[in-house]
Amino acid sequence: MKKKIQSILRHVVLLLLAVVWLIPILWLFVTSFSGYKGINTSHFFPETWTLDNYAQLFLRSDSIVQYNRWFLNTLVIAIFTCLISTILVLMVSYTMSKLRFPGRKSLMSFSIILNMFPGVLSMIAIYFILKTFNLTNSHIGMIIVYSAGAGLGFLICKGFMDTISVSLSEAARLEGASEAKIFFKIIIPLSKPIIVYTVISSFLVPWGDFVFAKLMLNSGIATDWTVAIGLFNMLGKSMIAKYFSVFCAGGVVISVPISILFLIMQKFYVEGITGGSVKG
Amino acid sequence: MKKKVLATLLATAMTVGCLTGCGGGAAEQPAAEAPAAEAETPAAEEPAAEAPAAEEEAPAVEAPAAAAEGTDPVANLIAATTGTVTLKVWASEEDQDLTTKLLDDFKAAYPDVTFDITLGAESESTAKDTVLTDVEAAADVYSFADDQINDLVNAGALQEVVANYTFDVVNENATGAVEAAAVNGKVYAYPMTADNGYFMFYDSSVFSESDVQSLEKMVEVAEAAGKKIAMDISNGWYIYAFFQGAGLELKLNDDGLTNTCTWNAAGGTDVAQAILDLTASGVLVDMSDEDMATQIAEGNVVACVNGTWRAETAAEAWGDNYAATKLPTFKAGGKDCQMSSYSGYKLVGVNPHSANVGWAMLLAEFLTNEAAQTARFEARGLGPANLAAASSDAVQANPAISALAAQAAYATPQRVGGNFWSPAETLGQILASGNPDGTDLQELLDTTVEGITAPVE
Repeated sequence: MKKKIQSILRHVVLLLLAVVWLIPILWLFVTSFSGYKGINTSHFFPETWTLDNYAQLFLRSDSIVQYNRWFLNTLVIAIFTCLISTILVLMVSYTMSKLRFPGRKSLMSFSIILNMFPGVLSMIAIYFILKTFNLTNSHIGMIIVYSAGAGLGFLICKGFMDTISVSLSEAARLEGASEAKIFFKIIIPLSKPIIVYTVISSFLVPWGDFVFAKLMLNSGIATDWTVAIGLFNMLGKSMIAKYFSVFCAGGVVISVPISILFLIMQKFYVEGITGGSVKG
Repeated sequence: MKKKVLATLLATAMTVGCLTGCGGGAAEQPAAEAPAAEAETPAAEEPAAEAPAAEEEAPAVEAPAAAAEGTDPVANLIAATTGTVTLKVWASEEDQDLTTKLLDDFKAAYPDVTFDITLGAESESTAKDTVLTDVEAAADVYSFADDQINDLVNAGALQEVVANYTFDVVNENATGAVEAAAVNGKVYAYPMTADNGYFMFYDSSVFSESDVQSLEKMVEVAEAAGKKIAMDISNGWYIYAFFQGAGLELKLNDDGLTNTCTWNAAGGTDVAQAILDLTASGVLVDMSDEDMATQIAEGNVVACVNGTWRAETAAEAWGDNYAATKLPTFKAGGKDCQMSSYSGYKLVGVNPHSANVGWAMLLAEFLTNEAAQTARFEARGLGPANLAAASSDAVQANPAISALAAQAAYATPQRVGGNFWSPAETLGQILASGNPDGTDLQELLDTTVEGITAPVE
């Protein structure tokens, strides 16, 4: 009996939490199908349902809604950032985890401390540095900024590589394998779960970034924007009444690539088990 | 021993890290201030910086004098131009279509010159923030709301209107608009619209013309009809209407940053009490602009204090009964006070950092001349600042614009320092929610005024 009550209590708490988390998302989702374009605060569910917001998003580009263009921009930036960051993180992690060289420890502490300073602080400095190279308002500039500091975020990945037995790489070294070979043939295949994590997290940085993009892309030319800025722009005082439900539709669509990426990557989570690869 | 070495090493690494961190921080500080510092430099060096430009534009700038001799300043400008004229223009999102058309007309008007004009989107209300982030990267020609002019001029982000090419900016626009575009007697921008203020929208099937003369009467009528009157009371921009209306003062000091405010002087508590009384019935409600749009469309709100940007919503919802007028009076301390308001203008400015200041000025004129202002009224219902455009029958017949004109006598331009907004918002929230803590009104106003007049670091 006591067990039953406890179980019920536990589930009620979980239910409450679930409601708190899901309500805003549900609201965003249902509002994206609303026939009324502004914010409707007196009803939770829209009064009229339509797919028109999605049609407007993709098919009827105007000066305010250029979703296809923004989506493409963001995707390009995110894919390149993702590739570069992942490579950097893996290389740094391997170096820190498997190689031994003088100053390794102090270098590690140093970079961890450096990484603790919020990147936002250096934003203005970065802006003016990029401006001297004429890289503001350029997607290349943004890719550089997003991926340049990625190597410092090696801590989690390094921690994972530390769990891969040293005897594996030692055995390979005895057989005459080069560091590159050990890295590509032994460590990488065993690190799939953490690669998945790195890929997803480095994809998410540019995908969801607003602050830096807003500072960098300051020409006001809508075709250069990323999705975050474009959507934010729809919430302007004079536009919110006409574009709010379109904004919601944009917010729903933005989650699609992440979900796809996660679904593709998910199976590697299960696969990457290191156990059994060392004999005896 | 080994541990000790390790500890020392770690400590050293951390200290080094800290030092680097601090170094980074120190390096950042000037960088963070860079926009302001940089922005100030051109202002300080204005005469020097201006010199080459003036020299370059010499024939053009001296044109008015030359014009008397029969030379056309525009012809001089064209003659002095070689190569492509590159210009960057910022207009608000809603103005994109119209501006695109005007830019095409502009190019067509000067067929001998090759233009490369790009149009970006930047809302007038946020133009200042974006421009001041990096003045050099800002557009050559941009539109902004007139309350931003002091900061923009201080930062050297506006080119003084030293000469006119195609029309007399000062005399062809309404006096109020020109004053709003001037700082210390010098004109820095081209008036584009004269409708950025607020007034009363109402549904004439609920209120008669005599009802809307007094706010108390309106509340009474709306209560009988079971409807609501909306006003964004918890917003300094609107709550100003009450206090200014009762003769209390709020103004910007000469330093351009701090405020003088007498809202806590004699009579202040009467105004606060009046707002409490008006909102007590739940008929006059504090409501944000976005909510108003919904509530008007749903028929719950039958009158609201708002600006021309809501005209479309109101006209759609109320149809033939859509009406607008000046703000009503309200009773404070037993006497009727006419509600005041902020008048607002939208202006077009030229960036002095532009490579083609002359062409930028000509384009700014083109975007704000009579034809452009008329087109803007026809396309978007915005009230023209241009006298000729404003006197047309179509403009006169527009309810929102004539309401603004009626309110103009009681309106003041918005010149207020940044410390005004959040204390005023807090005051509005407390009053609109019926002063839930029962704070003494005088005390409440004292606190508010203290916040508003606080020095700026």
